Amino acid sequence: MALVRNWQLGREMSYWYPEARPQRQFAAVFDINKCIACQTCTLACKTTWTSGKGQEYMLWNNVESKPYGFYPLAWDVKLLDMLGAQRWQGSRYAGRTLFEAAPAGERVLGWRPEDLDYAHPNIGEDDCAGRIDAGAALAVPHFAWFFYLARICNHCTYPACLASCPRGSIYKRPEDGIVLVDQGRCRGYRECVKACPYKKVFYNPSTGTSEKCIACYPKIEQGEQPQCFVNCIGKIRLAGFVSTPEQARPDNPIDYLVHVRKVALPLYPQLGLEPNVYYIPPVHVPLPYLEQMFGPGVSAALDTYRAAADDPDLAGLLTLFGCSHEVMPRWKRSGDTVLGLAENGRELMRVPLREPVYVRTAFDSARGVVRTNVP
Amino acid sequence: MRTLVTVVLVFLVIGCGSKPQAPLPEVTAFARPALPQGCEDPAWRSVPAHVAPLLLQDLVEPRQLVATTAAVTVQAVHDGSRVAFRLSWADPTHDDSPGAARFSDACAVQLPAVAGADLPAPQMGETGRPVEITAWRASWQASVDGRGDDMTALYPRAQVDHYPFTAPSLAPGSPEQEEMARRYAPARALGNPMEGPRSSPVEDLVADGPGTLRPAPRAMSTGSGRRTRDGWTVQLVRPLPAGVRPGQRGAVAFAVWDGSHEEAGARKMRTGWVPLAIGEGS
Ligand code: SF4
Ligand code: SF4
Repeated sequence: MALVRNWQLGREMSYWYPEARPQRQFAAVFDINKCIACQTCTLACKTTWTSGKGQEYMLWNNVESKPYGFYPLAWDVKLLDMLGAQRWQGSRYAGRTLFEAAPAGERVLGWRPEDLDYAHPNIGEDDCAGRIDAGAALAVPHFAWFFYLARICNHCTYPACLASCPRGSIYKRPEDGIVLVDQGRCRGYRECVKACPYKKVFYNPSTGTSEKCIACYPKIEQGEQPQCFVNCIGKIRLAGFVSTPEQARPDNPIDYLVHVRKVALPLYPQLGLEPNVYYIPPVHVPLPYLEQMFGPGVSAALDTYRAAADDPDLAGLLTLFGCSHEVMPRWKRSGDTVLGLAENGRELMRVPLREPVYVRTAFDSARGVVRTNVP
Repeated sequence: MRTLVTVVLVFLVIGCGSKPQAPLPEVTAFARPALPQGCEDPAWRSVPAHVAPLLLQDLVEPRQLVATTAAVTVQAVHDGSRVAFRLSWADPTHDDSPGAARFSDACAVQLPAVAGADLPAPQMGETGRPVEITAWRASWQASVDGRGDDMTALYPRAQVDHYPFTAPSLAPGSPEQEEMARRYAPARALGNPMEGPRSSPVEDLVADGPGTLRPAPRAMSTGSGRRTRDGWTVQLVRPLPAGVRPGQRGAVAFAVWDGSHEEAGARKMRTGWVPLAIGEGS
């Protein structure tokens, strides 16, 4: 075990290998408030990467309704229960990570799902489980709440999958931090399936090896965003690269949202993996639940997000989500226009801060026709 | 209960048609003009056995901290150039199908790559001092014995609507179709068939320390395994260890994995080095 710095915990922690950050780290921001659970992302990934034998049950990208949706079943609550109390002292995590809580003889605290745990994604998870009191649905805020949580591999800075593999079959690419399972080296021991708290490594019973989200690395190498990003109907996703807090640059869109404005937060940071998919939390969900899921920064993040309408920089950057197939490692706002830029400052995309609105009456009096199917 | 155990024992002994023999203190490969044809060959009945108690793999993470399989019974014969081991062990659960949390029963035989009195560490060898391993898995045996690799072979009621490599535009078995199928089975495309269609239930491996296991430069072992009334019996055939001739001595180690306890890789029951006597003649 080595001592490494995990900025999401505000402290050092123990990890199986010494700290070795990549030259740049693939990262993403998902705005949960905009996800409509259309599952286009899930299908975009499925048809691109997991159409083979043994991959039938795999969803490298999945979208589940929280709090009652899980893929695989109980993935998060089971582990949170095993880990025990998770306390924060301000922005410093005072509890144990999965590495620090590893039982004797193990590298990571984990559990391995059974086949059936993967068998029913999304079934029944939005259904009302109990009686709804008369009038409840009409009250604002709602008595009941839920939200859609879109999930991919977090390409963690301290991957539990990588730490757990006794063969070193999992590696983190130095050039972009993407975490991959070497399909020529894996022997299907499934230590990674057990160790990954997000359950984003899957065993392929047809090839006998474990497989996982590859962040569409062939696209990243070409400067393009992954399939689940460019196909997202809700435009909730932005791919890029995240820096450490000390090296954060305001003109890096991910850094701006994560480090400068702190509006996007990691998923279950207390587990200790420094996951690199950051979420803008949903505005309508009770704080204790969100704090358990995204850490102590939730309240401030929500305040910032709620005020975005009067915040041209933040609102402007949010308009860059889902507007380009290219990765935009830099950005800037110029008046009412937001620009997505390449590393060298070349303009990749230009979006108005507010889309122009044209109101056309249902009846075109100039032509004397009703505008049905008429431009 | 004791009566029942006695009855079962008597039945087993009669069932095997062999006289009970005192176990050998070490593994002895007896010289025979020909090797048995398989793990069920009656020739094995007259070959004395060594019973090797199994130890926990509690040296490297992930460790095996709960004792499962207690012992493996080992018989061995050689024909002057090859040695056949028969491993038998008790395992009440029959685990031979792969799944997210379904592990295969398995066993392995390990020999030092270089013969000599100075043995490498028994835990998979050590840097610069490799070991050779012949490994068998029950799931590979099931594949060799005819189980397909379709989902329906593992989950009989599964429904699959379409695979890109079964599109009507691709003639089954054509180079284009096979190329497309390979693309959707990355491990197989890289020559790493850990499951799926297999031509052999055994694999030759080399290692020079924990975590370094890799396929041997060439396949040299054969084998087969059968489910018995209370466990498994597996025959593994490989060349005699390099530099070891009839009349000489060597060392051998064994490992057994119990799938129902989610044992794989380092999670296993194993022996240290056991003396191996290679009988004179052939
Ligand atoms: S999310 Fe899981 S699979 Fe992905 S890098 Fe982290 S530990 Fe590994
Ligand atoms: S495509 Fe976008 S909006 Fe649709 S489910 Fe996926 S993340 Fe949500």
